[in-house]
Amino acid sequence: MSREGQKLDSAAGAGGVGIGVLSLDLLGQVLDRLREPRDRKACRLVSRAFERAEAAHRRALRVLRREPLPRLLRSFPALERLDLSACASLDDGSLAAAVAGAGGGLAGLRRVCLARASGVGWRGLEALVAACPRLEAVDLSHCVGAGDREAAAVAAAAGLRELRLDKCLAVTDMGLAKVAVGCPRLEKLSVKWCREISDIGIDLLAKKCPELRSLNISYLKVGNESLRSISTLEKLEELAMVGCSCIDDEGLELLSKGSDSLQSVDVSRCDHVTYQGLASLIDGRKFLQKLHAADCLHEIGQRFLSKLATLKETLTVLKLDGLGVSDSLLQAIGEGCNHLVEIGLSKCSGVTDEGISSLVARCSDLRTINLTCCNFITNNALHSIADNCKMLECLRLESCSLINDKGIKQIATCCPNLKEIDLTDCGVNDAALEYLAKCSELRILKLGLCSSISDKGIAFISSNCGKLVELDLYRCNSITDDGLAALANGCKKIKLLNLCYCNKITDSGLGHLGSLEELTNLELRCLVRITCIGISSIAIGCKSLIELDLKRCYSVDDAGLGALARNAFNLRQLTISYCQVTGLGLCHLLSSLRCLQDIKMVHLSWVSIEGFEMALRAACGRLKKLKILTGLKTVLSPELLQMLQACGCRIRWVNKPLVYKDC
Amino acid sequence: MDHSQNHIHDQSAANLCYQFGSDNPFLGMGIQQPFAPFTSPFGACSSTNIPHMDWDPATMLDNLTFIEEKIHQVKNVIRTMVDNGSQLPCRPGELGQQQQVVNADLTCLIVQLISTAGSLLPSLKNSSFLSHPPAGHTGIVKHVGSSSSFVPNELCSPEDYEELFKGFTDGAMEGGIEIDNVLVEELDAKDGDEGGDAGMDGEILPPGSYELLQLEKDEILAPHTHFCTICGKGFKRDANLRMHMRGHGDEYKSPAALAKPPRDTSAEHEVVKRYSCPFVDCKRNKLHKNFQPLKTILCVKNHYKRSHCEKSYTCSRCHTKKFSVMADLKTHEKHCGRNKWLCSCGTSFSRKDKLFAHVALFQGHTPALPTEAKTSSDQIGAVGSHQEPAKLPNSMGSSFMWGTSSGGNSALDIKGFDGCSDDFLSTVNFGSFNFSFGPADGFTGEPSGGSFPMMPSEHFQNAQKKGKN
Repeated sequence: MSREGQKLDSAAGAGGVGIGVLSLDLLGQVLDRLREPRDRKACRLVSRAFERAEAAHRRALRVLRREPLPRLLRSFPALERLDLSACASLDDGSLAAAVAGAGGGLAGLRRVCLARASGVGWRGLEALVAACPRLEAVDLSHCVGAGDREAAAVAAAAGLRELRLDKCLAVTDMGLAKVAVGCPRLEKLSVKWCREISDIGIDLLAKKCPELRSLNISYLKVGNESLRSISTLEKLEELAMVGCSCIDDEGLELLSKGSDSLQSVDVSRCDHVTYQGLASLIDGRKFLQKLHAADCLHEIGQRFLSKLATLKETLTVLKLDGLGVSDSLLQAIGEGCNHLVEIGLSKCSGVTDEGISSLVARCSDLRTINLTCCNFITNNALHSIADNCKMLECLRLESCSLINDKGIKQIATCCPNLKEIDLTDCGVNDAALEYLAKCSELRILKLGLCSSISDKGIAFISSNCGKLVELDLYRCNSITDDGLAALANGCKKIKLLNLCYCNKITDSGLGHLGSLEELTNLELRCLVRITCIGISSIAIGCKSLIELDLKRCYSVDDAGLGALARNAFNLRQLTISYCQVTGLGLCHLLSSLRCLQDIKMVHLSWVSIEGFEMALRAACGRLKKLKILTGLKTVLSPELLQMLQACGCRIRWVNKPLVYKDC
Repeated sequence: MDHSQNHIHDQSAANLCYQFGSDNPFLGMGIQQPFAPFTSPFGACSSTNIPHMDWDPATMLDNLTFIEEKIHQVKNVIRTMVDNGSQLPCRPGELGQQQQVVNADLTCLIVQLISTAGSLLPSLKNSSFLSHPPAGHTGIVKHVGSSSSFVPNELCSPEDYEELFKGFTDGAMEGGIEIDNVLVEELDAKDGDEGGDAGMDGEILPPGSYELLQLEKDEILAPHTHFCTICGKGFKRDANLRMHMRGHGDEYKSPAALAKPPRDTSAEHEVVKRYSCPFVDCKRNKLHKNFQPLKTILCVKNHYKRSHCEKSYTCSRCHTKKFSVMADLKTHEKHCGRNKWLCSCGTSFSRKDKLFAHVALFQGHTPALPTEAKTSSDQIGAVGSHQEPAKLPNSMGSSFMWGTSSGGNSALDIKGFDGCSDDFLSTVNFGSFNFSFGPADGFTGEPSGGSFPMMPSEHFQNAQKKGKN
């Protein structure tokens, strides 16, 4: 709990009267200033006045389970943002009923997130849209079953400004046309992965929604005609067309004839785009700020570079991942684009120390540098980066195995703002971590496959990097329980922790992790020594745990699952493949965890067919993803499978041989 | 269109002559030209187009003199052909070419004769079709191989005229005279507003080169055109009449009487017949400024019914489309109902892009989605076999009643919807759909945590046993 929360808490406890005399409005203002949800919860639980104030003032709500939804919607009438993306077993009926029960309480609702709510269909959406006249933003992404009818239901919200339909696989031109006609004020739209949409639909969209500012047509099968239509959009600022293989240079030339509003273009993975097309695009769009051309270019010509130089003042982000580069090219980019803030050179062949030093020599504003898999660079490159880019915040060096602690030292000394560094597979040692510990702002640290890192290195990090949020120690198999003790002691803010294959870790190490209250994602794959005792301490201590990976933790049994079932109420994703659990434990687990939506249970050799059947029936309606052996397809009852699919659950049948391994 | 273009090619020479004859404005304006340039053996006709003038004897004399000279020219050409033919074997292509030129000259002569004679007749004097040829004959002539490939309409000086003439003769020598097909094509497309009438069919005949007939309304609409002379019964086809006649006596049963009456051999040399629609102000009426004649009686019938009659045949499928010609209805009915692209306004389209163009054009129109059943089957097809429609199969009814509370609820809910989903989709009541939910408290019941009360005990024990095995 933060300091603010504690203060308020004590005030409420000491003089409840004092809080009570303050007006709801004032209390609401106080609550608005509390950043952490936990603190708000504490206030709410301690003081009725605060509870009333929150009921009247609460703007945002994220619901995790279906059952309390109607009550919550009734009790927060001032709601503006509703997030149902994690709401387990939400379906049409429950959503519509909850909306109907809320009466006029949803009149102020502006944003609704229904991402991955695969159980919700058009009936629920129609009810929701009808109840929320001021709806401005809807997120339906990854509702893979959603189609034209769902899009039509959303299109009834005439005031809509933002809509995400990513991976709504059944949406076709008809659904898009419904949206285009129904929501003429649309400003942001993403139809990524809606593979049924064609040029005709995009053309109508461009005609009907002139206010569009951001458009994502990634992975669509649309061609140059779409870009001709899109170029008529006067206000378009952002255009993403990743993986549109039907678009080529001709399309980019058409696009360049549009208005000057365009600021960001993403043509990554567009196989038929070359530097010529990009050059003509730049020629037409003088105010381009962001250019993403990852994995689409094979070469770069002089024409492109000379055009790039005309963007000197504006260009801030340039991504050229996967391109074959040379020193002279990097130098030209460095000279041409002085104001670069982010550069992506991931998997570029031909990146050398000289190239990097000539690139960064003029680009002192760089904050993000991605050099993933540029395996020729050495400490010299890090030296020149450190000397020139004092503002550096993010450095990705995965697989740059020629660097060592000397280079890291330079970076850590000169770039105090460093927030993220990726040293996966760089072979760095404890000394490098000692230097890195100087960066007290560090949020994300990835040390996967650096097997020479020991508890000592972790202790250095823990001593100064209290803001660390994500730590990746994949296959750092020298780490023992002592390292985890230091970590749990120093980095209380950790949310994501990967300890896969660190097989020296035992139950006592997990006992230390139990003190990380904010931990949400924990991966413990192949930790063969941990048992139900360690699992219990995590389940009890890590209250925020959302994702847990226990694959190949061969010593985890029913008792471990029982501990999870009793304590880890927020658990949403769980992997228990190869664990020694029985049908009883599985049933207990699946019937108890009310937020569980995604479970991977391959090769549970101790669970009978009836055990699977019972367990799945108990969880049916909540599950959205299930990974299970193909052999079960025929022996599970057809009713169960139909039921699962009807509730929006996707089943991934796998057919892998049963192999036990230790690391 | 290809067919019609070929047609034009064949007739190009004739057309060309006609154009020269009637359409050079300076001639129409009465500027007399010396006939000197016409001495060329291939000299095309020039005419004095006089219908707007009162005829004066001097002009008439000039005309006749010209016709006489022209006949002489043609005669000479043919004579040389005869001579050449007797001396050298002439290749068929060359001969055909010369014949074409002669034909053109002869057509030109006929036109001249008609127009000259026409000017004498007061009744024809004001008839507009002589003075206003169809717009296609705007006198733009392309001379392949000549210096001036494009001759503008307004030629005013004799020099220009001479040059034009030279160009023409040059072109004619090379046998490459062509009408500017593009122009004609464009015109056809413009005039094709009555597509099915086949009135012109790409064929362009100069006014006057055919006999113009105008049937009256009663004749056009008469159901039968062949009547039995004995009983008066009417028939649409002559063959049917002949069959009918057998009943009136043995004399009609002879093979000769039953056979198709032989075509009059003279009919082949007859002047082509064309038809005018009796409806005044119609484009197909002979008084219309841009008159275009109809080709056959059938065309007249169809045109008259389509354009000037009530549409009395209604489509039995959609009950909206109406037709005045039965054949049109039949054609429509073949495709009616296949228009799966529906707009909210009720209009349907056979193609998606047509629907989208319509939606783009009209404010507030939106595509209407196909019926529920169709959508779900489409979804299965599109998404893959693992995607099921939101509907639950009916098979899982009572057998699953013991399932979890949440599962049972959702099953009930969705079933509740299924009842009303069928008529939901007619576009008329789109939006008037009301939800009918079960009692809301069904949702509030929390699934009991901890143990598994939903499991029948014997099942559970079985599960355990097998698990231990």
